[in-house]
Amino acid sequence: MNKPYNNKAWLGVLPVLLIVAFSGVVPLMTVVNYSVQDILDFNSRFFVGFQWYSETLQDARFIEAFLRQLGFSASVLIIEIPLGLMLARGMPRQGLSASLLLVLLAIPLLIPWNVVGTIWQLYARSDIGLLGVGLNALGFGYNYTADPIHAWLTLLAMDVWHWTSLVALLAFAGLTSVPTAYYQAAELDGASKWQVFRYVELPRLKGVLVIAVLLRLMDSFMIYTEPFVLTGGGPGNATTFLSQHLATMAVGQFDLGPAAAFSVIYFLFILLFCWIFYSSVVREND
Amino acid sequence: MLQLSQIQLAPGAEAFDHTFAAGTLTVVLGRNRSGKTNLCRLVAGLACSATGQVTLNDRSLSVQLPQSRSVAVVFQAFVNYPNWTVAENIASPMRAQGVAWRDREARAKQLAEVLGLEAFLQRLPNELSGGQQQRLAIARAMAQQAQVLVLDEPLVNLDYKLRESLVLELQGALQQAGTAVIYTSTDPKDAFALGDELVLLDGHTKLQSGKPLEVYRYPQNYMAADLMSDPGVNAFTTQATLVAAARKAAVRPEHVYLADSARFDDVSEFKMEVQGLETSGDETFIHGSVDGNSWVVRRPGMVNVKPGQRLAVIVRKGDIMRFGVA
Amino acid sequence: MASIQLDELSFRYPGAVEDTLAPLSLNVADGTAFSLLGASGAGKTTLLNLLSGLLMPTSGRIFFDAHEVSTLAGRQRNVAQVFQFPVLYESMSVSENLAFPLRARKFDPGWIRQRVERIAAELEITQQLPLVAAQLSLFQKQLVAIGRALVRPDVSVVLLDEPLTAVEPRMKWRLRQTLRRVQEELGVTMIYVTHDQTEALTFADQVAVMADGGLLQVGTPEQIYSTPSHEFVGYFIGSPGMNFVAVEHLAQPLELLPNTCRVGFRPEWAELCADEDGQLRGAVRSMQLTGTHGGIATGVVRIDMTAGEIAVRGRLEVDIGQSVGVHLQHHLCYSEQGRLLTTHDE
Repeated sequence: MNKPYNNKAWLGVLPVLLIVAFSGVVPLMTVVNYSVQDILDFNSRFFVGFQWYSETLQDARFIEAFLRQLGFSASVLIIEIPLGLMLARGMPRQGLSASLLLVLLAIPLLIPWNVVGTIWQLYARSDIGLLGVGLNALGFGYNYTADPIHAWLTLLAMDVWHWTSLVALLAFAGLTSVPTAYYQAAELDGASKWQVFRYVELPRLKGVLVIAVLLRLMDSFMIYTEPFVLTGGGPGNATTFLSQHLATMAVGQFDLGPAAAFSVIYFLFILLFCWIFYSSVVREND
Repeated sequence: MLQLSQIQLAPGAEAFDHTFAAGTLTVVLGRNRSGKTNLCRLVAGLACSATGQVTLNDRSLSVQLPQSRSVAVVFQAFVNYPNWTVAENIASPMRAQGVAWRDREARAKQLAEVLGLEAFLQRLPNELSGGQQQRLAIARAMAQQAQVLVLDEPLVNLDYKLRESLVLELQGALQQAGTAVIYTSTDPKDAFALGDELVLLDGHTKLQSGKPLEVYRYPQNYMAADLMSDPGVNAFTTQATLVAAARKAAVRPEHVYLADSARFDDVSEFKMEVQGLETSGDETFIHGSVDGNSWVVRRPGMVNVKPGQRLAVIVRKGDIMRFGVA
Repeated sequence: MASIQLDELSFRYPGAVEDTLAPLSLNVADGTAFSLLGASGAGKTTLLNLLSGLLMPTSGRIFFDAHEVSTLAGRQRNVAQVFQFPVLYESMSVSENLAFPLRARKFDPGWIRQRVERIAAELEITQQLPLVAAQLSLFQKQLVAIGRALVRPDVSVVLLDEPLTAVEPRMKWRLRQTLRRVQEELGVTMIYVTHDQTEALTFADQVAVMADGGLLQVGTPEQIYSTPSHEFVGYFIGSPGMNFVAVEHLAQPLELLPNTCRVGFRPEWAELCADEDGQLRGAVRSMQLTGTHGGIATGVVRIDMTAGEIAVRGRLEVDIGQSVGVHLQHHLCYSEQGRLLTTHDE
C-alpha cells in the first residue's frame, strides 16, 4: 500500500531554505573566501592560503582579547545561572503575583542592546549617574572610565541585570513541570530545602539548564553592543572583547583578509564550545 | 464495508486480512502493543502499511488523506474543542461538511439525547466529568456520519463504575445504519457486551475472528483462549491423561470449581496451593499453583480461603480446551 | 504505628459555599489495613490530604494515638505516602532512595543499612538495591516507592493513593499481595484510597465507602457486600450493582413491609423463573454474556419492568422481549431516604 503523499508541504519549507541560504550560508562562504586572500583594494587581491590564520593565532592582541573573553563569559555563567535558579525557586508558582513577577522579569529582555548600554552608561557615570554618584558618596572612589576593574565590574553588573531574567524564566518553566507529588513526598520524607533542590528539582531542570548555559555562553561570547556603548573597549583595552577587536580590524582598519580569518576562527570556537558542552551533557544522560 | 487485505500492522509482521461489515460493531481485542492502535491509525490514514490494500466499499483508501476519508475516530484521551459548547462540539463536523444550520441543530440535539448529554448542551467541555467528555467525543465522531467509526479503547481512562454504565449506554447508541464500527479493547467483557463480531489480535497478527460466543467456546489456539479470559487461562502441562494427544490444553478460570461446592459428572480433580485472593464482592479470583502452573480460579461471591491453604478444585472434562491435536 | 481517630473532621475550600468534606468521625485501629472507597469527587483525596497535612481541616480534629496532629505540618506528623505513579528520587540508586527518609531524620548509618536491607528483603527487591531508579520497571519502581514509605520505624500511618493505577493489570494482584503481607508482618496501619471495589475489598480489613464528601458505611468487606447500609453502597459495589424496586411493584407480597420501603437485591440473589411464579415480572430487554456454566451460556439478563430496569444473573435461556418472572432468594429493605431498614431472609 502506498502512502498518500502531500507534496504541497515542500512549498512551506521553501521560504525558510531561501532565507537561511541568503542570510547564513552565502555570507559565511564569502567570509571564508576573504580569509584566504590578501585584499589591497577590490581589484588587486592575492591568494595567501592559511597565512592570516597563523598570524591571527599568534597575534598577542588576539590572545589577550580571547582570554579576556573567556574570563568574561565564565564570570557571566558563574553569576547568572545560580542567581537565575534562586530567583526562579523563590517565585510563587501560580496566581496573580506569579504573572506580575514574570512580566517584571521579562522587561530587561525587551530592551534593545544599545539602549541597555546607554542606560548603564548614564546610570554609572561618576558625575551625574545614580550608581556612580551613590558609590562615590559611600567613599568607593568609583570611576569606570578610568579604573579597569571598575569597568569590568560595571560591565558584569550590566550583563547580569540584562540576562539573569532569561535564566530565571527558563528555570521557572522547568520548575513548573515538577509534579506536586514529588514535593509532597520530599516533605513527608523530611527532606531539607537543599535536598529538595538537589534531588527533586535539579534532576528535572537538567535539560532546561543545558539550554540556559548554551544560550548565555554563546551570547556572552559574542557580546559587542553593550561594552561598545558603555566603555568603548576601554580604559585602554581592558574591556575589548573578541567581537570589538574584530570590528576594529574589519571596519576601522579595513584589514579584510585577517578580519575574515579571525571571524572564521571565532565562529569555530563558539561551535566547538557548544559541541563539547552539549555532547558531554548528552553522553551523561545516556 | 471496510476491507483490509494483506496489511502489515507492524514492519515485518504477518499479513492481516479482515472485512469489517457495514452496520456491524466489531470489537478488536488484544493486549497492549498487540497492534490495536496501529490498526486504528491505518484505517484512519494516520499510518501506512508497506504492503496490501485498504478499501472502503471497493474503493481504495490508499490515495486518500486522513481528512478526506469517511472515517471518524475517538481516542483514549478526551479530545474536544475546549472553547466550544457541547452543542457546538457535536455540530462541528457537520459545519465542516456544510450541513444547514437547522439540520445541524436538530441532529446535534438528537445525538446528545442518544448519549445522555441533553442536559449539558450549553456547557463547555471542561465543565463536564471525564465520562461526559468522552461521551461528547463519541457524539462528535458519530455526527460525522462517516462510513467507518473507530474507537480506540475509548473507556480506558475512566473509573470502572463509569465504564460499566457507559458500556451499557453504548450498546444501543453505536449502531448506525451503514456504519462499520471498530472498537478496540483489552477486556473480554467489552467483547461480550458490545461486539457483534470479534477479532483477536496478538503480536500484530489476527488470531481468530467470529461471533464472541463462538470464539469463546472454540478458540483456535492457546493464545486465542487466553485473550478471551480475564485474567487468562490456566494451562495443563503434566496431567498426561487430560492432555491426551494435544500439545497444549487449558481451562478458563470460570470453569474451575471448588470440589466441595460443585456437582458435575465426569470431572478431574486437582490440588491447588493458594497464593492470593482478589474479590470484588460479587466475584472472587483465587490465585494459586497447580502442578507448578500458575492458575486462577474465578468464583461468584466471596470465597473464604486463605493464602497458603491447599484447595481441592475440579474441572469438567467438557470444559477443557485442547490445542494442536495431532 | 498508631491508631487514628477523626473527630467531626470537615474541610471547605476558602470562599467555597459547600463543604468538600462534610463533618465525619472515624476510628482506625492500630495495625489495620483500611480502605477508602468511592467514585472520583467523593472526597477521598481531600481526606487523604488532611491526614498527610497537605490541607488543614476547617473544623474538627485528627488524633494519631492520643496526640492531636490536626494543625501539624506533614513532616512533623510521621506519615508516609505512596502516590498513583511511582515517586522516586530519580538520580539516586534504589538503596539511596530507601535510605533517604532515614538519613533526613539522622538515624544511625549502621542501623539504616540494616533497615534498608530488611525492607528490601521484605519486598523482594534486594537484587535491585544497587540499580538507579531510572533502570527499573514501573512495577519495581512502585515497589521501591512502597519501600520508602515503610522504611521509617516511627511512621504512624502509611497512606496509599490509588497505588496500583500505573501497574499493569496482570501484576496488580501480586503487588497487592505483597503490600498486604508486609502490612501484616510489620503491623503497619495503612489507609488505601481507591475507586475500585476489587482493590478495596481485597486489600482491607475495614472498608469505608464515601460519596459526596461524606461517609456512607464502614465495615468489613463481607458486610459492605452483603448488607450495604445505603442504596448507593449497594449500587457502587458489585458489577452490575444492586437492583432497587419499590415494594408496591412486587407482584407477590414478600412479608409485612411498610408501603414506602424499597426492596434491594443483587443480580446474583435472584433467578429467572416462569412469568407467573415471579415476585417481579417484566420483559427481557438485553442479555450480556459473561461465560458458560456446565457448557450453557450464562450472563446478566436485563429486564424491563414498569418500575424500571433490573439485572439478574443466570443462564441465558430466554429470548429478547420474552416475558419472565424473577424469584428473589434474598433481599434487603431500604427506606425512602435510601437507608437500610432490616434484613429479611426467606
